[in-house]
Amino acid sequence: MDPGRPLLIPLDAPGVPDDRIVGGKAAKLAQLMRAGFAVPRGFCLTTWAYEAFVIDAEITAAISMELGRKSMDGMRWEEIWDAALRIRSMFLAQPLSRQLRETVRESLQLFNSSVPLAIRSSAIGEDSAGHSFAGLHESIIGVRGERAVEDAVRLVWASLWSDAALLYRQELGLDPARSRMAVVVQEMVNSDRSGVAFARDPRDMRKDHAIIESVPGPCSLLVDGLVDPDRWEMNRATRGVVAWLPGQREDSDNKPLLEPQDLQTILQTLLSVEQLFRWSPDMEWTGRSDSLTVLQARPIATAVPDEDEKRSWYLTLRPNDARLKELRQRITGQLIPELAAAGETFAAEQLELLDNHQLADAIEKRSQTLARWKKIYWDEFIPFAHGVRRLATYYNDAVQPDDPYEFVGLLRDQALLAAQRNNVISELARQLGSNHALRTAVEELLAKHVSSIQWPTFRDELLKGGIAADEFVQGFDDLHERFLDVTFDDERLRDRPGRLLSNLVELSQPSSASESHRVSPSNCSLELEEKLLAAVGLERRAEAMDVIETGRVSWRLRDDDNLLVARLESQCLRALDVAAKRLRKLGRLTGNGHLNDSYLVLLVRALRESSTDLITIADSIKSEKPQLSLTSPGQTPRQLIGQPASPGLATGKVRRVSGRDDLGMFRRGEILVCDAIQPTMTHLVPLSGGIVERRGGMLIHGAIIARELGIPCVNGVRDAAAILQNGDLVTVDGHLGIVTIGAADFDLEF
Amino acid sequence: MNTGEPLFDSNPDTESREAASPAFRALIQSLVNEQAYAVLCVQGGGQPYGALVAFAFSEDLRHAVFATPVTTRKYRLLCECDHVALVIDNRPDRANELMDVEAVTATGRSQLIARGREFDELADLLISRHPYLRSFLRAETCALFRVDIVRFLHVARFQEVHQWIPAARS
Repeated sequence: MDPGRPLLIPLDAPGVPDDRIVGGKAAKLAQLMRAGFAVPRGFCLTTWAYEAFVIDAEITAAISMELGRKSMDGMRWEEIWDAALRIRSMFLAQPLSRQLRETVRESLQLFNSSVPLAIRSSAIGEDSAGHSFAGLHESIIGVRGERAVEDAVRLVWASLWSDAALLYRQELGLDPARSRMAVVVQEMVNSDRSGVAFARDPRDMRKDHAIIESVPGPCSLLVDGLVDPDRWEMNRATRGVVAWLPGQREDSDNKPLLEPQDLQTILQTLLSVEQLFRWSPDMEWTGRSDSLTVLQARPIATAVPDEDEKRSWYLTLRPNDARLKELRQRITGQLIPELAAAGETFAAEQLELLDNHQLADAIEKRSQTLARWKKIYWDEFIPFAHGVRRLATYYNDAVQPDDPYEFVGLLRDQALLAAQRNNVISELARQLGSNHALRTAVEELLAKHVSSIQWPTFRDELLKGGIAADEFVQGFDDLHERFLDVTFDDERLRDRPGRLLSNLVELSQPSSASESHRVSPSNCSLELEEKLLAAVGLERRAEAMDVIETGRVSWRLRDDDNLLVARLESQCLRALDVAAKRLRKLGRLTGNGHLNDSYLVLLVRALRESSTDLITIADSIKSEKPQLSLTSPGQTPRQLIGQPASPGLATGKVRRVSGRDDLGMFRRGEILVCDAIQPTMTHLVPLSGGIVERRGGMLIHGAIIARELGIPCVNGVRDAAAILQNGDLVTVDGHLGIVTIGAADFDLEF
Repeated sequence: MNTGEPLFDSNPDTESREAASPAFRALIQSLVNEQAYAVLCVQGGGQPYGALVAFAFSEDLRHAVFATPVTTRKYRLLCECDHVALVIDNRPDRANELMDVEAVTATGRSQLIARGREFDELADLLISRHPYLRSFLRAETCALFRVDIVRFLHVARFQEVHQWIPAARS
C-alpha cells in the first residue's frame, strides 16, 4: 500500500482529514470526534480504495461504455435505471483486492464482533452547503461479518452510479465520471430514542428557532419515514420549548418521547456543532441526556429550494419496502376491485333506455370517474410499479447472477389480463389455421366489409355460410365480451373487430422457419424462487417472499391497471356514442369524424338543452406529423442504437403502428415499429418478426413480452418512428441493441 | 502532385535483414501494445473498405484478433474475402510532428472463429486489452476474427520502411 495514498483511515486518526479523500461525511465525523463529541467509532475506506477497486476490477471503461452508448439527455429514467442496475451488477461481480480485504479485516478486528455495523456513503461533495445528496447514495445498517461488510461496501460504491444519483448529478451539471466515493464503516449505536435536530427551522430558516424530532428506536425509522416523530420547536436564545407536536403513532401514549433534560442536551450539542463548523447543521443523534451520540452532521439542505424539490423526486425512485407493502395492500385489496367494479357497472348500464338528462348525467359521471382513476393511476399505481425494481435489486444483491435480468423469470406465469386475452387469441388463430374453410370464409367476409363491420353481423354471416364455425364464434364472443371493451387510440376495440380478425388470419398462417427457432427463456419461476430463498437463508425467508410477492403483484397490476382504466375510457366513449347517435337522429349532430372526449361538453349541453347549435363531428383526417429532418440530402442513417431488450436477430420490413388504422394492417413477420407497446396491442407481438420501440427499458411491456416469446427487440431507439418508414428493410439485432437499415449487402462504389 | 504512392509506404519493397531482430520486433510490439485501435482494411468486388476496430495481438505477433457485429459491412466483406490489412499508428494531431510518427501495416488472412475453446482464448486476449468489450463478445451476434499475420511493414521518419515476415522466421 502506498503510504501517501492510504486505503483506510480510522476516524480517530491524527491530523485534519481531507474531505477529497474521505468524503464529506467522514471528514465531519472525524472533526466531531476530535472536538470531543461522542461519535460511534469506525474507519473510512478512502476514495483511493474506491479508485483502486474500479481500476483493478476494470469497471471504469465498462461504466463509460454503459453511459456513453447514448446521450444521457436522450435516455428516459427507465433506461438510466437499467444502466444503473448493470453497473451495480459489475460492482457486485468483482471481489475486493486481497490487499483491501486484508486491510478491512484488520480494522474489523478492533471492533466488538457482536455489534452490528453501519456502512455509509461518503461521496466527494456530498452534503456540502450547495447541494445535498442525502438519501441518494446507499447506507446499509445492521451489517455483521467480513463477507457482509465487503458486499455492503461494494453496494455503497455502486450507489454512486444509482439512477437517482445519476439523474441528480445530471440536473446539477456535475460530471459523474469525476465522482468518487469514500465509505464510512462504524459501529452501530442504538438507543431507545433517536432523531434528527435542525439548528434552524428548515422550512423558513428562522434564526431564532431550532427543531428537534424524535422517534422511539433507531434513527433509521425516522430517516426512512417509517415512524412519525414527535417534534419540538425550541427557542435558541431562551432554550425554551416553543411548541410540541406529538407524532401520530399507533402505540403512542401521548406523552412526549423526550424529557426536558434530553431536549436541553440535544439543543446544546446542536449549537456546539454549529459553533464548530460555522454553519447550521442538520444532526442525526441517538441516546438521552446522559449518553447522547452524534451519528451525523451536515448543512441543512434548504439553500436552493428548487434543487431540494428535485432531490425529493429522485428519492422516490428508490422504493421503500414499507410504502410498497402499504400500496400493495391498498391496491389489491381495495383499488383494483373498485376499478374493476366501476368498469362492470358502467358496462351493465343500459344507456339506450335513459332519457336525455339521465344520459347527460351518465356521461359526466363516467368522465369524472375516469379522471379520478387516472389520478389514482399516477399517484398510486405508477409508484407501485417500483415493486418490480425492488425485486430486481433484492434478487441481484442476494444471488449475484451473471445476467442482471435473471429475476424477470420470477414474474413468469402471472395471470395477467393481457396474457389471458392473448391465450384466447392464440386458440382462435389455431382454429382458423386448422380449418381451411373457416379461414377462407373469414377472409372473404373481411374483404367484403373492410373494417366497418360489427361483430354480431359478422357472426351471423359466418354462421349462415354452412361451415363449422360454432366453436370459433363462441370463442370470439368470449373475447369480445371479456377483453375488447378497451380503447386504443380513442377507439373501442369492440367497435372494429375486423382489425383483430385480420390479425387472427395472419396468426393462423404456418410459422416461418425463423419463428420456429425462437428460444424462450429456460428458467422457471419456481427454480428462481428457490435460488433466491437459498441465497438469503432461513432468517430472511419471510422478507424475501414478501419482496417476491410485491414484485409479482406490481408486475401483474402494471398491466392489468392499464387495461382496467382503458375499459373505463371505453365506457366513456360508449356513452358519448349513444348520445351522438341520438342527437344525429334528431338532426342536431352531423359529420362523420371520429368521436372522442373533446366533444363531451357539447354533447352534454345538447342533451340537457332542447335548442343548441348543430354539432359537427369534424372529419378525423389524421394530420401526419411533420417528418423530422434528421438527415440532410445524401446522408442516411445506417445503424440506430438502442437497448438490447430481447435477444435474437431478425430481418424484415417495417410496419409502424401509431394509431388505430395500423392495427389491422399488420402482417406476419413484419418488424413492429412503435412508440411503445401498449397493453391493448400486445396481441401484435407474436405476429412480429422483431420489435423496435422508441421508449426504452428492459422492464417495459414490449421488452418483457418479446423476451417471453423469444422475439428480437431493440428499444430506446430515439428517432425510430421518424426515421423508419413502412416497408423499409431493417435488421434488428436484439443481442447488441442495433437496428441496421437497408440490405446488408455491400454497395459497390462506382 | 499525386503520384499514387502512399505517403508513408513510399518504398514498400525495402527489405531489411534486421527486420526480424529482437530490437525491430520490440519496436512493433511496442506500437501494437501502445495503440488500442487499428484501421481494418478489407475488400469486396474490387472495392476497398476501411473500418476502425479494437484489436489485440498475440505475444508472438503471429495473430491479431478483433470483433464485429454480424450485421456490418466489414463482416460481409470478410466472409467474401479473407485478405486483410491492419494499420496501426501513433499519429499526433499536429502536422509538424510528422517525423515522430510510426505506423505498422500488418497484412494477412482473416478467419472467422466459431464459438468454442479457441474463441474463448482469443476473446480473453481481446478482453485483456479491452475489458469493456466483455458483454459485446458474449452476444451471439458478435463475430470474432483471427488474423494470421503474413507481413509487417513498419514505417518511421516519414519514409523509412522495414518489412518483417513472421512466418518466415526460422
